[in-house]
Amino acid sequence: MVKISVLQHNPAEHLAMRPGDPTPTSRNLNPLMHPFARARERTRALNAAKMDRMFAKPFIASLEGHIDAVEVLCRRPGSLTGIASGSWDGGILMHNLSSRKEILKIPQAHKGKVSGLCFSPDGGERLLSCGVDRNVKLWAVDGEGITPLNVFPGKAAFNSIDHHRTDSLFATASNTVQIWDETKSAPITNLTFPTSTETITSVRFNMSESSVLASIGSDRTFTLYDIRTGKAERRVVMQMQSNALSWSPTFPTTVLLASEDHNLYTFDIRHLDTPTQIYKAHVAAVMSCDWSPTGQEFVSGGWDRTVRIWQEGVGRHPEVYHTKRMQRVTSSIFSGDARFVMSGSDDGNVRIWKAKASEKLGVITARERAAMEYRQSLKDRWRIDGEVDRVARTRHLPKSVHQTAKLKTTMLEAQRVKDERRRKHSRAGESKPKAERKKLVITEQT
Amino acid sequence: MDALIAKADSIQPLNKKRRSTKNAAHSGPSKPKKASSSDQTLNSVAKHTSIPKSLQDTRALPEDVLNYKHIANKKLRTHLHRQSAHSARAQELLEDADMLLMDNAGGMEVESEMDRTWRVGQSSIVESSGQEAAKGRKEYKLDGGPYRSRYTRNGRHLAIAGRTGHVATFDWQTGTMHAELQLQETCRDITFLQDHSFFAVAQKKYAFIYDRDGVELHCLKGHIEPTRLEFLPYHWLLASVGNPGYLKYQDTSTGQLLVEHRTKFGACNVMTQNLHNAVIHLGHQNGCVTLWTPNLPHPAVQLLAHMGPVVSVAVDPSEGGRYMATAGRDGAVKVWDCRNWKGAVREWTVRGGGDPEVDWSARGYLSVASGGTVNVYNPPSIHTPFNARTSPPLYLTHPIPHRPLTSVRFAPFQDILTIGHSAGLSSIIVPGSGEPNFDSREADPFENKKARSEREVKGLLDKIQPDLITLDPEMVGNLAPPSKMTTTTFDGKPAVEVPYARLPRIERLRVSGKIDETEENPEDVGDGDEETKKHIKEEREKRKMRGKGKSLKRYLRKQRKNVIDPAAIAIRTKLEKQKEEKKRAIDAAAKGGEKQKPSALDRFKRSK
Repeated sequence: MVKISVLQHNPAEHLAMRPGDPTPTSRNLNPLMHPFARARERTRALNAAKMDRMFAKPFIASLEGHIDAVEVLCRRPGSLTGIASGSWDGGILMHNLSSRKEILKIPQAHKGKVSGLCFSPDGGERLLSCGVDRNVKLWAVDGEGITPLNVFPGKAAFNSIDHHRTDSLFATASNTVQIWDETKSAPITNLTFPTSTETITSVRFNMSESSVLASIGSDRTFTLYDIRTGKAERRVVMQMQSNALSWSPTFPTTVLLASEDHNLYTFDIRHLDTPTQIYKAHVAAVMSCDWSPTGQEFVSGGWDRTVRIWQEGVGRHPEVYHTKRMQRVTSSIFSGDARFVMSGSDDGNVRIWKAKASEKLGVITARERAAMEYRQSLKDRWRIDGEVDRVARTRHLPKSVHQTAKLKTTMLEAQRVKDERRRKHSRAGESKPKAERKKLVITEQT
Repeated sequence: MDALIAKADSIQPLNKKRRSTKNAAHSGPSKPKKASSSDQTLNSVAKHTSIPKSLQDTRALPEDVLNYKHIANKKLRTHLHRQSAHSARAQELLEDADMLLMDNAGGMEVESEMDRTWRVGQSSIVESSGQEAAKGRKEYKLDGGPYRSRYTRNGRHLAIAGRTGHVATFDWQTGTMHAELQLQETCRDITFLQDHSFFAVAQKKYAFIYDRDGVELHCLKGHIEPTRLEFLPYHWLLASVGNPGYLKYQDTSTGQLLVEHRTKFGACNVMTQNLHNAVIHLGHQNGCVTLWTPNLPHPAVQLLAHMGPVVSVAVDPSEGGRYMATAGRDGAVKVWDCRNWKGAVREWTVRGGGDPEVDWSARGYLSVASGGTVNVYNPPSIHTPFNARTSPPLYLTHPIPHRPLTSVRFAPFQDILTIGHSAGLSSIIVPGSGEPNFDSREADPFENKKARSEREVKGLLDKIQPDLITLDPEMVGNLAPPSKMTTTTFDGKPAVEVPYARLPRIERLRVSGKIDETEENPEDVGDGDEETKKHIKEEREKRKMRGKGKSLKRYLRKQRKNVIDPAAIAIRTKLEKQKEEKKRAIDAAAKGGEKQKPSALDRFKRSK
């Protein structure tokens, strides 16, 4: 006798029983059932990368109102929509990002440019501004704002201002760093490094340890102070001057510097002899930088008329934004929810961009989100494939930026080759190649 | 400041062993301890800087996770570790998924030693099978010449084409007819395209595409006198081969005639595809079997399989396309291993005359139709090497009185074999031949209208580019072979990867194989003692011509320098050989001189 069994599918298991029921699906994960699985996945990854580029429409809106270039932007603490901007014409504006309207307008806040802005920490009730007219002014945000609440006269033009995280103290940068109390009209402390004689361009309080203060100066230095001891603790002299600095919101010792040499640097202040990462892509001086509140990415604006968004720890291929009308970007900040980026530029506009260029705004269904996440993981997985990587990486750049980048590469390459040749023709071991990271810091002083 | 630094030091994942203590143990007392575990800030921050316990994967990793300890780059190492752990976990889950398969494959089992499965006839199989499965046994009595048939990928629909022009497509389970055409001209082959909504017919002069209802959509005038058609579903390519001997690929999503290969073997009427790498197998009149891809103008493999014309070729889908079966007019059936073409794995001769037809099922059952019978063999014995030219043990046999048998097709996901012959078609039940568990993302016999259209769109989005067709389908996503653009350092250090553009010219020439290595620098040769150097110098002086340093001559010499001229090389080797001979003669003479008797004139010889 032979035992016979014949395959038969039970239609009841594979068909929807009642109308409206979901159709039953069955899976068989045997790889032989899925021929070309890899090739098809690669095609999907390529499509995902292309779709990502197709939907990349980062520009949202432009906020007008300034007569001259926007010098400084600042985010209102505890609010997702409020930002303030100061301009070269001496005017200060406060915008609401969601309605894109001006909340507050102070046309002649300072004579000459407004060089620094910051909110007081208690919900951003008061706004502090400083200018080249040697005054710091305190404004009420919800007042009419024609007359300041208080004026703090100084002795030199101010370049930057930052408020203490909790106390009613603020720091200003002129030829020295001065600590002020909101209730007193004269600075309570002057902080300088003993040998420093130069102008301080920017000053920022640490977010975690709020008595620690960092400043950068036109003598190519980065200096750390502690306001409790009232002393400058450490100073680093670098090859080129820095234009902006920003403390990481999540990692207490990390600080980001935007340098005149077209690069950005993150430093761990425990090891100030080398930067932890160099961020290279700008083709002109970087004028501003700001961390995202997540601490995972940051934005920078440059003299090359582009805004770039970087991933922390990834020194190349940032997201790059530009428009035909945007001029030199002098200030750039992240929004409080890390979804948007604001840039202020020489043409007097404040622009709002998406932090993720192809992000869809508005309500996203669960299926849509799942599809987007799948596409993202496909892209990450197939980054090794040249074609996918090329599509994901390629950005259109303005001709001037593109040409400058090309020229820059040529020049750096020529320099590198020259060094190599010089080394080859000098005695062995006489001059060793120096790591790029070691080149930056000239000396570290305490 | 110290508080700030302490805060930063304390930020480390909870589950990780603190390195500070380890470092302190290693470095001794010279280095101060960075952070002590009693630090309050440390403990307060650490809680917020790790993933919540509920989200942490607590299961132990499997044993065979790859180790990347040798990689120096810290970021890359962590990335690779994470990736391999993830894939190991996924692999574990995959093993569980096997238990969820619902259906079991059919089969025939003998209970006593004297029983044979091939003695069981169709009538007893039909009796013992279920009601639904018994529907598979069918006889289609049709006039219109020998028939060829083709199933859709989900096995639900059947297309048949009679030699004299009767073409029909239908759902064989429900019996609904989609289209029935009397084309009034020779039809040699038929194939469905992506699903049952389109089919292509190889007619007398051209290939035609019809839609589900039988409306003629396209006349493919590029395909002249086609004899066989194949559709590559993942690449959306329709391949045809015909009497002129051209293999043509037409992209059915864009309509472009992608490429046509001249086979140079004359008329061809045997074609099949390998489902797993989309390579087309052709069988030719001179006994050759050739393997083709769109991106190669010549066959990827050419194999002399039979002593007469090849009449049928099939590829085993169950082993990932590893085995190929061929049948020749000489009556031989051969099974080949596609990884090693040195001779057939197994071969045997069929009886009964006529052209044998072969086909593999999804579970590796091989059917051979020859003369008036169809024989089915089951897998392990088909491709176990066997020296004698005898057929493997028979699994099932079925006589059909209507000669010739022109096509055999297994139905996907069913235990059904459909045989086309001169009086129509007959479907027989072959227990165990069909894959029991389908994947509804690939092919679903029970799909509805919406699922079908959805699958079409998804298929178009996932269409693979034709230039990715290679013999090895796993080529995509593998590491590229190491680039040529490396230089080896000579002082025992490992090779440093230098981009080609940055190499010096001489290295670039060496890498690209254009360097003229025959021209040796005379200085390099003479690194021996003082005298040989002197000798070489003298010789160079002697050879030196007047006017050698003229600028034009120098320029021309430079131009000549890296040109590889075969004639020059030949002359150079010849000269070298002559030189060698002369040298040997001189040496021989010198040796011979030593053996000679000492002469009185020896005193005048120059002493060494």
